[in-house]
Amino acid sequence: MTLANSNETLHRKREQSALSALNWVAVRPYMMIFPAIIVFTLFFLYPIGYMIYLSFHDWNFVSPDKDYVGFSNFTALLQDAKFQQVLRNTFMYSFATVSLTISISLLLALWLNKKGAMYGFVQGAIFSPHIISLVSISMLWMWIMDTDYGLLNWFLNLFGISNIPWLTDPKTSLLSLIIVAVWKGIGYYTLIFIAGLQSIPKDIYEAAALDDTSKVRTFFKLTLPMLSPTLFFLTIIGLIGSFQVFETISIMTKGGPINSTNTIVYYIYENGFRFFKIGYASTAGVILLLVVGVFTIIYFKLLSRKVHYQS
Amino acid sequence: MKNIGRFITLLVLVLVLSACGDNQEGTGSKDNKASADSGRTEITYWYAFGDKIGENNENLVKMFNDSQDKILVKAEFQGGYGDLHSKTQAAFAAKNAPEVTLNEIASMGVFARSGMTENLTPFIENDSDVNLEDFNPGLMGNSYVDGNIYGLPYLRSTPILYMNASMLKEAGLDPAGPKNWKEFEEYLRALTVDGQSVGMSMPVGIWYFEAFVGAGGEDMLASDDSEVTFNGTAGVEALEFWKRLAEEGILKIHAGDEAAAQATQDFANGRSAMMFTSTANLTQNLAIAEENGFELNTAFMPSNKTSGVPTGGANLVMTAGLSPEKQQAAWEFIKWMTAKEQTIYASKYTGYLPSRLSAIDSEEMQSLYEEIPQYKVAVDQLQYGKARPMAEAYPEISTILADEITRSLLEPDLSPKDALDKAAELANPLLQ
Repeated sequence: MTLANSNETLHRKREQSALSALNWVAVRPYMMIFPAIIVFTLFFLYPIGYMIYLSFHDWNFVSPDKDYVGFSNFTALLQDAKFQQVLRNTFMYSFATVSLTISISLLLALWLNKKGAMYGFVQGAIFSPHIISLVSISMLWMWIMDTDYGLLNWFLNLFGISNIPWLTDPKTSLLSLIIVAVWKGIGYYTLIFIAGLQSIPKDIYEAAALDDTSKVRTFFKLTLPMLSPTLFFLTIIGLIGSFQVFETISIMTKGGPINSTNTIVYYIYENGFRFFKIGYASTAGVILLLVVGVFTIIYFKLLSRKVHYQS
Repeated sequence: MKNIGRFITLLVLVLVLSACGDNQEGTGSKDNKASADSGRTEITYWYAFGDKIGENNENLVKMFNDSQDKILVKAEFQGGYGDLHSKTQAAFAAKNAPEVTLNEIASMGVFARSGMTENLTPFIENDSDVNLEDFNPGLMGNSYVDGNIYGLPYLRSTPILYMNASMLKEAGLDPAGPKNWKEFEEYLRALTVDGQSVGMSMPVGIWYFEAFVGAGGEDMLASDDSEVTFNGTAGVEALEFWKRLAEEGILKIHAGDEAAAQATQDFANGRSAMMFTSTANLTQNLAIAEENGFELNTAFMPSNKTSGVPTGGANLVMTAGLSPEKQQAAWEFIKWMTAKEQTIYASKYTGYLPSRLSAIDSEEMQSLYEEIPQYKVAVDQLQYGKARPMAEAYPEISTILADEITRSLLEPDLSPKDALDKAAELANPLLQ
């Protein structure tokens, strides 16, 4: 009886300590991520929430009262012809920049994926724009693309092409900004592609060579599918990054001439900090959040299925 | 294992909490020290632009601090007018605004009406040192918002016509420059040499457009800011004039963001014979002319039916809601900065206008005008000086107008009347 009793107590004690251990195990992860959650809430969730709150108000940034205006910022924004042009510009800029950068750097990566001093040098050279600040790059290209005194037109003049007003004509200004973005992006993309190419096992290529497969066929049937995780990654970060282009526009064109280079983030800045329409700017911010969010979801849901992941 | 986990968690929490505590303590003690250190009232002053203009600001503040021992002013550079304004607004929203700052004159209305700047009228009325009559009346228009004074003229300017007098003489023209639009057109034509130089190179500048609308005797906005009037007779005539001269190839109008820099470059290289720009750039342009070996002359903006030129630059303003002690310090500083001696110093240092009549009459300025008469043109032109529109939406309206003017200049079929009507249609809702 005593034995049974003491056995029971022991059992109960064990159970109790197991229970407290269970509690601790359940709580510990939350305790561990608590500091991170605070930072996330303070610097990500709160600003996003405040932006959504402001998008329903009319406010000039300083006046003590924010007037609640319901959805009128949204209806005004969606009917705004300027905003429609801004959206068109943003999409055109993003798709052109990403597709051009990816195709050019893929070709470069295929060429540079060899051993040798020259390849290393070229790789270093095309990577260098990536480490220069965008502000310096913008200033540099403003001079290169100057209509009358720029390097680019001087060079084209040698071939008998007359001066092109790169940044000052609404027909060429967006293209000029795309050129700068592609020039800056190629080095980084090429580097990632080369890393991707080098992680493809060599034995597949040996097998293909034994079967006398043509180079083109090898590229489309082997290299491209094996490279798809890299391609997928670069497309996503490229699109999300170029939707948020700001520095080059702010420095090189200020969105002009005639809004031909005005994109969403610059439009938000212009309305918020130059025209002091914070509510309106926040509304455009909400739209940007939705656009980027939708694209991210589409890509993860649809494309991830077609991506070949190596096991 | 379990204990180590618990220990780490506690450690993290303690560190996070103590870090927060430290921070608060740190800032608190710093504030105490600063005010205890010197028995002087400390105020902060924000200004725009670097180079000569920045040096002028820093020098004046240093002179003020040395001249007395009650107030200590800290001057801080904040970029261009746009940057200065947005930083001031953000700082005000964070209850951390500088006590004294600058308002570009077209922005006086926004700041005053949203309650950011202090009404200076009571300070002026209670201070026998200030003689309002002595401020140049041509510069006072933008000081008043709804009948009260919110700022005093500080670094003020007006656009003038700069000419390469050497090229004018070569073309057989009077180097004194064109008086009206008709002569202006003749000058442009005579100064254009195919493939070599153009009569004038200019940006699509709304400031200059204001001068051309003013020359037709009209304003950009109705006097009560209820609607735009730049699409009236004067505005249409001005844009038709620009478009005709541009199509003939004797006036080169640059679109885009670097247009103003391009115009300066063309003028410096002798690829254009004339340009419009602020009087604030006079010192700089005299140096450019000397470097490139040509003679520089200045003249009024060409007149048409009449003359009406905008003024520009910035007024000194005081932030609203300060403690009486800080208010008094800020007022003393503003008063000192806009006094006769200081406006003479600033004008000589930069080329900005002397804002006081007694300064213009002073021996110092008069001997400068005798020596370098180019400095006097802007002062004389002030008799036609007008205030800039101060509607809250004017920055946005300017952008819309510049876009439509550019469109009309680029598209041969878009008539100036249609372009300006379109701009008015987009701008008017912003004024209601």
